[in-house]
Amino acid sequence: MAKATEQIQYETDDPNRIQDVGWTFKEVWRRTRGFVVTSVNLIIFFILWEIVTTYGNINSLFLPKASAMFQELWIGMTTRAPEGAVFSGSILDHFLHSFKNLMTGLAIAMAIGIPGGLLMGGNKYVESILSPYVWALASLPRIALVPLFILFLGFTTTMQVTIIVISAVFPIVINAWAGVKTTEKSLLAAAKVFGANRVQLYYKVVLPYTLPFIISGIQQGIGRGLIGVVIAELFGGSNGLGYLIQRSADTFNTAMTFAVLLLLIVMSLSLINFTRWLEAKVAPWRNVNHL
Amino acid sequence: MQITNENIIVAEDLTISYDLHRERKKLIALQDINLEIKKGEFVVLVGPSGCGKTSFINAVSGLIPKSGGSVKVRGEEVTAPGPDRAMVFQDYALLPWRTVESNIRLPYELQNLGISEEEKKQRVKNCLELVDLAGFEKSFPYELSGGMKQRVGIARALATNPDILLADEPFAAIDAMTREAMQAEMERIVSETGQTCVFITHSIDEAILLGDRVVVISYRPGKIKEIVNIDFPRPRMNNSEVKISKTYAELRDHIWNLVKDEAMQTTRGE
Ligand SMILES: Nc1ncnc2c1ncn2[C@@H]1O[C@H](COP(=O)(O)OP(=O)(O)O)[C@@H](O)[C@H]1O
Ligand SMILES: [Mg+2]
Repeated sequence: MAKATEQIQYETDDPNRIQDVGWTFKEVWRRTRGFVVTSVNLIIFFILWEIVTTYGNINSLFLPKASAMFQELWIGMTTRAPEGAVFSGSILDHFLHSFKNLMTGLAIAMAIGIPGGLLMGGNKYVESILSPYVWALASLPRIALVPLFILFLGFTTTMQVTIIVISAVFPIVINAWAGVKTTEKSLLAAAKVFGANRVQLYYKVVLPYTLPFIISGIQQGIGRGLIGVVIAELFGGSNGLGYLIQRSADTFNTAMTFAVLLLLIVMSLSLINFTRWLEAKVAPWRNVNHL
Repeated sequence: MQITNENIIVAEDLTISYDLHRERKKLIALQDINLEIKKGEFVVLVGPSGCGKTSFINAVSGLIPKSGGSVKVRGEEVTAPGPDRAMVFQDYALLPWRTVESNIRLPYELQNLGISEEEKKQRVKNCLELVDLAGFEKSFPYELSGGMKQRVGIARALATNPDILLADEPFAAIDAMTREAMQAEMERIVSETGQTCVFITHSIDEAILLGDRVVVISYRPGKIKEIVNIDFPRPRMNNSEVKISKTYAELRDHIWNLVKDEAMQTTRGE
């Protein structure tokens, strides 16, 4: 406030206002404590599990030792089936199959869901035509469609991917749609006042505003998509983690079943944390602590 | 900068109404507004909330259609926003994903003002200095205080070098001390650039200190109740004589009485 108000001197840019904090012990702890606490927590959990299954009178058919599970996981992830084998006992093979399907399914779901949701939010005719179908399909438990898809497509990878797409597409559509709808009116007014035409309104305001919504739609889509993966493989198929769960349980290899479950958890959490990170990256203003 | 004799904004029998679809009714927000604003003039609108002040400046900016009468800027009917009119918003309306600098540059991206990149850079720099935000170019709006955000809003409006500055309660959400500083800033900027300013406020002091004329609008439907001329010499903000003068007290009293009647009606129920 240089000229007009000499007497009010706060909010100026004093170079000392931003000071270097440096790497104090407190700062290091503040950044790593989440990781440290979680790791210690998990280690204790698995040790207790190991103790209970070793010294407790527990049938290993129901609950294998933690060490057996890890061993199963390690071997399964480091070996591949020999060329031409009909069935693979390697977890890695099945994991790659499922992961590839999941990624294909998610990519298709995004390719349909993002433009679909944006169109529904942006055009009221598209909205009124599509919304009954979106709500109907979104409210239907997707598992109910599985027999139908098997009938249409057989026990194929196409069938599995279709189920993943159907599972993941709706949260993406609905979030993108809601994002467009809730774009702040004053931001639109500002853009209009400063000369935005319809197209500019979309890619300068609506799209950036909707991006974090889309990412959280994808995040929900990942969760649903994984359910889709497992369901599709449990019902029909001779490949993938869902199939491996089924098969290992059938052959009383509980350690393998648990190993696959653990892998599913790790995969799901990794993907979801990736999208969280992405969300924070593209929309830092939403993560400000207002308290 | 002197007020000229040339009318820049002319509203004739301007009527603005909103469709209330649910009730199959039409709400007349502003009725038969006749107002001539001269180039270089600082006009302040006051009135109870809901009387149609925002509707008026939205009609001047071209954001909303009118339902009767006309509003002309430099003789031409307003149909859409244009680069000659800029707006400062009560809730700042800054794009949260853009830095301060990038927010100020927004008008350049949206319309072709026919100025060179060099000139744009210079203008952004000048505007930032004018609102005392030099050094905050790379900050994001969420990293700024309310007063700073509004200064970005003002800088963005000034970046297009508009003839007309429309401000809808720009300082309403800002604390009293910052507010006073920003009023001084506003007075200085507007008189330095010779812009015409239409300014909405709820504060009678702000109205008297900033306005060449204060337009009091009545409630439902909004009509002009009285136009009060304010003749204090400028700059008024740091002139302690103004606030303690007898005229100031009289004006304050007069406007307060005009607004009070209206405000009472509002609170008595609609
Ligand atoms: N988009 C809208 N739809 C329906 N009514 C509206 C709309 N905008 C404003 N109004 C009504 O018009 C009247 C005037 O509003 P406004 O111009 O915002 O008043 P002010 O800015 O003086 O508070 C109010 O009664 C308000 O309810
Ligand atoms: Mg208003």
